[in-house]
Amino acid sequence: MTETSKMVCPDCGVETNRHAEKVEYTDAGADAEGFDPALGGVLEEFHACPDCGRTHARRAE
Amino acid sequence: MSARTDTRPLFIPVVLGTVRQGRMSEHVARFVHAELAKRPGVETELVDIRELKLSNTDEGGGARDVRFTETVARADALVLVVPEYNHGYPGLLKHALDTNLKEYIHKAVGVCGVSAGPFGGTRVIENLLPVLRELGLVTVFWDGNFSSVQKAFDAEGNLTDAAYVRRLDKFFRELVWMAKVLRHGREHVALEGG
Repeated sequence: MTETSKMVCPDCGVETNRHAEKVEYTDAGADAEGFDPALGGVLEEFHACPDCGRTHARRAE
Repeated sequence: MSARTDTRPLFIPVVLGTVRQGRMSEHVARFVHAELAKRPGVETELVDIRELKLSNTDEGGGARDVRFTETVARADALVLVVPEYNHGYPGLLKHALDTNLKEYIHKAVGVCGVSAGPFGGTRVIENLLPVLRELGLVTVFWDGNFSSVQKAFDAEGNLTDAAYVRRLDKFFRELVWMAKVLRHGREHVALEGG
């Protein structure tokens, strides 16, 4: 398991909760920035703000 | 659950998933929306995919209708009202759904199938489930099944079979439970590894 850097909700300034990851398969394939050969795509992580509930996404670290 | 999570009403839009002229699913969607609006602690709105401004010369996020994306982003759950066309779902519903992604992750979805025949859209629901799963939505195990829809509503769109009210109540109870649990999970339960 790896510890990732925290994300702060740009609307509320509250630390978000990282609740999901999902592989994105891009047209760039293995040339895509952040391509993970084991997963066959780029891993995205999804955060939710416990204050406003909005979801934020970023490339996984 | 935090006080903030508890006090915000759930927002559950109802999506009318066909653009066809003479669509009977519109009666279903209006009925479902009206019943959902009666539930305490739930806000809803009716989204008609006919009204969305979706590009058909772009893909993914480039094709999106900004207002639809904002609605989905705010949603805690979705209700899809989907007619069965040749055992499948309308292509334009799929196009609309595909324009978003992060907005769906770990949110509940329930499907109301609509058919002219006796099976209440069960085949379109089964066909739609893998799509919803891939989008990151979490399906509930109750469905709305509107069979022989041309008989279930009169010409003005009034319900002619009161049994649908009770059936829909069961569907909503499950959907609301799932929406509450998933909201708590999204906002407070971290993925393993921090």
